[in-house]
Amino acid sequence: METLDRRAILAGGAAALMVPVGAGLAKLGAPLSGASGATGTASAAAALPTTDLGAYLRIDGANDVTLLIGATEMGQGIMTGLAQLIAEELMLDWTQVKVEHADAFAGQPNPFANPLFRAQLTGGSTSMRGWYTPLRKAAAVARELLLAAAETLTPGGGWSLAPGGKATNGVKTYRFSELVETAAGLPAPASPALATTRNVIGKPMARTDIPAKVDGSAVFGSDVQVPGMVFASVVHCPTLGGTVASLPSKPSGALAMVDLGNAVAVVANDTWSAMRMAESLASKIRWNLPADTSSRDSTSIMANARALATSTSAAPRIYETTGGVDPAIALADAAVRLDATYELPYLAHACMEVLNCTAVVTADSAEVWAPTQGQQLCIPTVMAITGLPATAIKVHTTFLGGGLGRKIEQDYVGQAVKVAKAIGKPVKLTWSRKQDFQNDMYRPCAVIRVQAGLDANRNLSAMIYRNVSPSINIQRNTKPGNNPEDTGAVAGAQGLPYAIANRRIEFVPLPADIPLGYWRSVGESYNTFAVESAIDELAGALGADPLAFRRAALAGDPRAVGVIDAVDALSGWSTSSPRSGRARGVAFLKGFGSYIAMVAEVSQSSGKMRLNTLYCAIDCGVAVNPDQIEAQIQGGVIHGLSAAMWGQVLFAGGKANVTNFNNYRLAKAGDVPDIKVSIVASEAAPGGVGETGVPCVAPAMANAYAKLTGQRLRKLPFYPGATMGGL
Amino acid sequence: MSTKISLNVNGVVRTATVSSTDMPLLWVLRDVLGLTGTKYGCGIEVCGACTVLVDGQREHSCVFDVGSAIGKKIVTVEGLSTDAEGKKAQAAWVEHQVPQCGYCQPGMLTATVAAMKGGHHGKEISSEVNHLCVCGTYPRIKAAQQGL
Repeated sequence: METLDRRAILAGGAAALMVPVGAGLAKLGAPLSGASGATGTASAAAALPTTDLGAYLRIDGANDVTLLIGATEMGQGIMTGLAQLIAEELMLDWTQVKVEHADAFAGQPNPFANPLFRAQLTGGSTSMRGWYTPLRKAAAVARELLLAAAETLTPGGGWSLAPGGKATNGVKTYRFSELVETAAGLPAPASPALATTRNVIGKPMARTDIPAKVDGSAVFGSDVQVPGMVFASVVHCPTLGGTVASLPSKPSGALAMVDLGNAVAVVANDTWSAMRMAESLASKIRWNLPADTSSRDSTSIMANARALATSTSAAPRIYETTGGVDPAIALADAAVRLDATYELPYLAHACMEVLNCTAVVTADSAEVWAPTQGQQLCIPTVMAITGLPATAIKVHTTFLGGGLGRKIEQDYVGQAVKVAKAIGKPVKLTWSRKQDFQNDMYRPCAVIRVQAGLDANRNLSAMIYRNVSPSINIQRNTKPGNNPEDTGAVAGAQGLPYAIANRRIEFVPLPADIPLGYWRSVGESYNTFAVESAIDELAGALGADPLAFRRAALAGDPRAVGVIDAVDALSGWSTSSPRSGRARGVAFLKGFGSYIAMVAEVSQSSGKMRLNTLYCAIDCGVAVNPDQIEAQIQGGVIHGLSAAMWGQVLFAGGKANVTNFNNYRLAKAGDVPDIKVSIVASEAAPGGVGETGVPCVAPAMANAYAKLTGQRLRKLPFYPGATMGGL
Repeated sequence: MSTKISLNVNGVVRTATVSSTDMPLLWVLRDVLGLTGTKYGCGIEVCGACTVLVDGQREHSCVFDVGSAIGKKIVTVEGLSTDAEGKKAQAAWVEHQVPQCGYCQPGMLTATVAAMKGGHHGKEISSEVNHLCVCGTYPRIKAAQQGL
């Protein structure tokens, strides 16, 4: 077995990265160790001898090729998409391709760090964007090395790849498994050419992870099993911001009780007992409560936000100023003016899989299995708790039962490590659904005021855009003297491709102490609602067709016009009327490296809006897997629909009003519209698709509803207080 | 306090030591027997992720006390690969590339199989399975059920 111990590599520092089996691929990073020896991970059982070829590729005796990825598979299909890149370069049969999560890598450079931002974590719809070219280059290097190995074994030239992971000179044929050891010892070519074929890239390849997801064998974080493991659950202080003052006696039947600062863990022989006992402690633990909960109260937070939206003394951060005229003057001179304020609530992530983590901590090592989008962040988390060096820590990434941004956080990982350290046994820590809803890191609420104007020629001449929302960045950098920027707060409003002559994009950080996090489509999830509603209101003020109005204002960006035209054709916007009782609305977004336009067709049913059909055109550059792009748009639309219609978390006295799915309504099958997706052919660099489908749904629906009823909905959700029935 | 019980799971009789026969079947399957295919979602019969078959009927194992499962035939997602309807449903799920994160799919599949065993087809199955999928795989679930 030609694998290396990862600790040895890490211990040796950067120089050691050059030495071992993948020496030829030194620039691509270090080879990985093989099976970790622990149970429950996808990489646990590698019976066949394997050889590493650089950081990313492992070829076994059956000639199966395993790709190790730094990105996290949380449903978006990234395992499959990245595997397509190497299958193209190496002419692999799809059946011989396997994919695994790489363990968190503690050294530098980290070969598994997304090349876009140099960290091993997943977010912002960046995995394909970051890896498309680097991974193809890595596979091309491997291809040249394998061919060179064939030449080494049988000189004479004429070697080329053959389908199915083979090299042939027309007379002799080697399988990659026969070449890989030789290949691993050869010098890497500097810049091998990338394949010009499109046999796999651009094709709707079957997802590599689906077989395990239909037979129960897929291992999510909550499914990890370690020998001798016990089970833990937690109860957090019922008031956000509270901490443990003193503990009651350990519940009878509990194996242990561990103080976690803002929560208490109970350890038992099964998760059910641990959850029940943890919940029973909520009223028995003495908590230090925050003196004032007004900063954790929706009513006062929103009142403050509304005041700041119009305040002349709010001292906004100005993240964009364009045009030769002060937008305020341009606005005063406008022939048509809009002054509209939009409101959006805090939202929960509500991943199907609750937060959980499994940990083993000994005196000289720690091992963690986590459903994590932030594996690189887990290493310092474990170091801080255990005092161990990075070289003594292993972090394995499991499948995620949804991530949606929540599982980049470290709270639940740290809790499992603390408990494992305290009790000296392997432990799986699982939150109850109630704890998950009440201790989320919520999507920020926002109050957004848009002042905009059109000149006498019907051109957009002015926009003053003010986003008032609590800042994720500021909340996370509270040290004195820090004053971090947060341009993410205006993502979706800054750099708009619309021809708006004079504009100012402002952000006013809203003081509030509700814990904040990254929620699928982040800043765009609120700013696009305001921008696309306002554009529609301006078109309406002119009596202009809202789609034609957008097309004209986007004329400077051909890809933007391309998706507008495509959604026009797909929906029949310009060529047919919706059936009686229905109306259409449109919305557009340039974001996540992609362009997207949506047309919502809505009606009224029992006095409420119903989304009947959602047409979507997307230009995401090279469409690596059209079927999975469609899947992400379907999922994004449904996620956006839930947020538009019902999504809301309110806080009173520091407590979230949501405890389970029954009071946090999400779309079920009967709510889902007919979703039609058109992918615009493009050879541009790949754009993101995981989040791109979410932001346009609410404004397209609100715009359609205004057309249908004359009523403009400027506040989300449309139907607060909805409950979800049982099965 | 603990009790030793026998359970017939996927055709195999297994012994489990449980703290109480009130313990939900879900947690006996997952934490005692190590059959982790069945998922915890809500614990209150709203999401359907924990669905299993008990004597051919779908049950929400998060609230189904294990004592009531003694002497009955339990089928979990791990048992679908050797079940005629289960294999059909799995094949449809693969054909339509249904799962995204995959966490709700064991419940979707077992409920679909229960509906099939109840004599339902196509749209009837879809109307029987009202589970939650946060990824939004509903259009593909419906398409997969259409052919069953």
